[in-house]
Amino acid sequence: MPLAILYGTETGNAEMLAEDIASHLGNASVTNLADFDPADFDTGTFYIVVTSTYGDGELPASAQPFAEKMAAQTPDLTGIRFAIFGMGDSEYPETFNFGGKRLEAILTEAGAERIGERVTHDASGSEMADDLALPWIDEILASVEA
Amino acid sequence: MHSIVIIGAGPSGCFTAQALAKLLPEARIDILDALPVPYGLIRYGVAPDHQGTKAVIRQFERLFERQGVRFFGHVRLGVDVTLEQLGDAYDAVVLATGLHQDRLLGIHGDALPGVIGSGAVTRAWNDYPDAAPVRIGQRVVIIGNGNVAVDLVRILAKGPDEFHGSDLSPANASALEAAGVARIDVVGRSTASAAKFDPVMIRELGRLEGTAIHLHGVTGEGKLVEALQGLAGHAPEAAPREVHFHFGWTPEAIKGESHVTAARFRQGSDTLTLPCDTVLTAIGFQGETPATDDGGAIRPGFYATGWLKRGPRGPIPENRADAQSVAARIAADLAATPGGKPGRDALTKWVPQAVTYADWQRIDAAERADCPADRCRQKIPTLAQMLAVAHQTGES
Repeated sequence: MPLAILYGTETGNAEMLAEDIASHLGNASVTNLADFDPADFDTGTFYIVVTSTYGDGELPASAQPFAEKMAAQTPDLTGIRFAIFGMGDSEYPETFNFGGKRLEAILTEAGAERIGERVTHDASGSEMADDLALPWIDEILASVEA
Repeated sequence: MHSIVIIGAGPSGCFTAQALAKLLPEARIDILDALPVPYGLIRYGVAPDHQGTKAVIRQFERLFERQGVRFFGHVRLGVDVTLEQLGDAYDAVVLATGLHQDRLLGIHGDALPGVIGSGAVTRAWNDYPDAAPVRIGQRVVIIGNGNVAVDLVRILAKGPDEFHGSDLSPANASALEAAGVARIDVVGRSTASAAKFDPVMIRELGRLEGTAIHLHGVTGEGKLVEALQGLAGHAPEAAPREVHFHFGWTPEAIKGESHVTAARFRQGSDTLTLPCDTVLTAIGFQGETPATDDGGAIRPGFYATGWLKRGPRGPIPENRADAQSVAARIAADLAATPGGKPGRDALTKWVPQAVTYADWQRIDAAERADCPADRCRQKIPTLAQMLAVAHQTGES
């Protein structure tokens, strides 16, 4: 099953995590959401979405063009499966991981199915994002492939 | 092969290196810094209680640990090596030295004792090597309408128990507590809707445990105005401190004989005089900047990036985007040159004493190990101590 990682980033932290997940999996493509067209969603591919939150609970800059295209094209994503990993900062509890929540809502409202839990890394915590994300994706992919 | 040297290991220098390493995987990239430690304003400018914002450092660590970028610390331009030498030895020289000097108010009394720029305050609170301590009084006026002003308010308005997980040193925390700040007035010329505060940073003030917040002249619409209005009535029981926000007031004069005693502002025909013993200015930074074209080129082979190129504007993401555009310009220019300059080999001969990344890792480890239980780090506060730790040789 082809794996495609899509990331939304503002400072580069989510981009680095997306690249780390790709090296961990070995066979996944990595694409900035800014360069991804919703028309290219393919039901045979499993999508791994990584996104931060920026400013006042907004999507990061690189995910915004994608959100605009989704709103304009209103594609039917029935049959598309994705996992989503958010990155947030608990110093801002009111908007913690709103980016991940928003992106998940955009995808599920178009008919896509979320697989596994949406997990959020906390930039103000002591855990490294990789230590949270790599076991998370392994478990999800094991369940998908089983 | 091309050799590129970046002067300044702050966020703009590091983001430029990151983009160059992606565009030119074959190039040899070196980063110099005048300090023995990397990361510039991420370490010494981002507030000590905003550790999440400092998380970009993990990206930069990767440059040095996996991507072959080399750190040359405690190398001072014009002292240890000259710009001309670097220009001869490298195919591209990138200046990412930022802006350091606090901009002055330019009004009567702006140099009185008790008037302090945000840069000086931030360096002191962040344990910048050998930074002079700042003396804060009980009544503080903060002039400025941007996020630096909010950082100053928040640090002054927090009690000693509100710095959990930060890297504010116990010495700074005690000095702040001893200052006994009772009232902080934040004054800017903009209206509330035009102020440059980030709404999310304004809302953060609503969690202050010992500070009551009062708003004056908050009118208009928008996310920031909503965030400000959300602070109205924030008044923890028996709060020992209060913060007052004022909008639309232009600074006119700082009063006092041998020390500041008040700050006066004007709005049309009205004046506002705030008695105070401390004035903190958060109105930006200045310094000599080179003329560049849009791509950041100063002259063939020399480039500028970050605040040095753009002025003291914009948070981390804007400077990251700018660094990427300067890197793209450099990559395009280098494609037309043969490369092959000595680069790192020459630099290593000129500055054999430079602090290496491994030396910095010793400083980093010492700072993390020797730190109070409720702090994430205890920065080494002097250059001499840093160099001593950097050059310690291991037992093995």
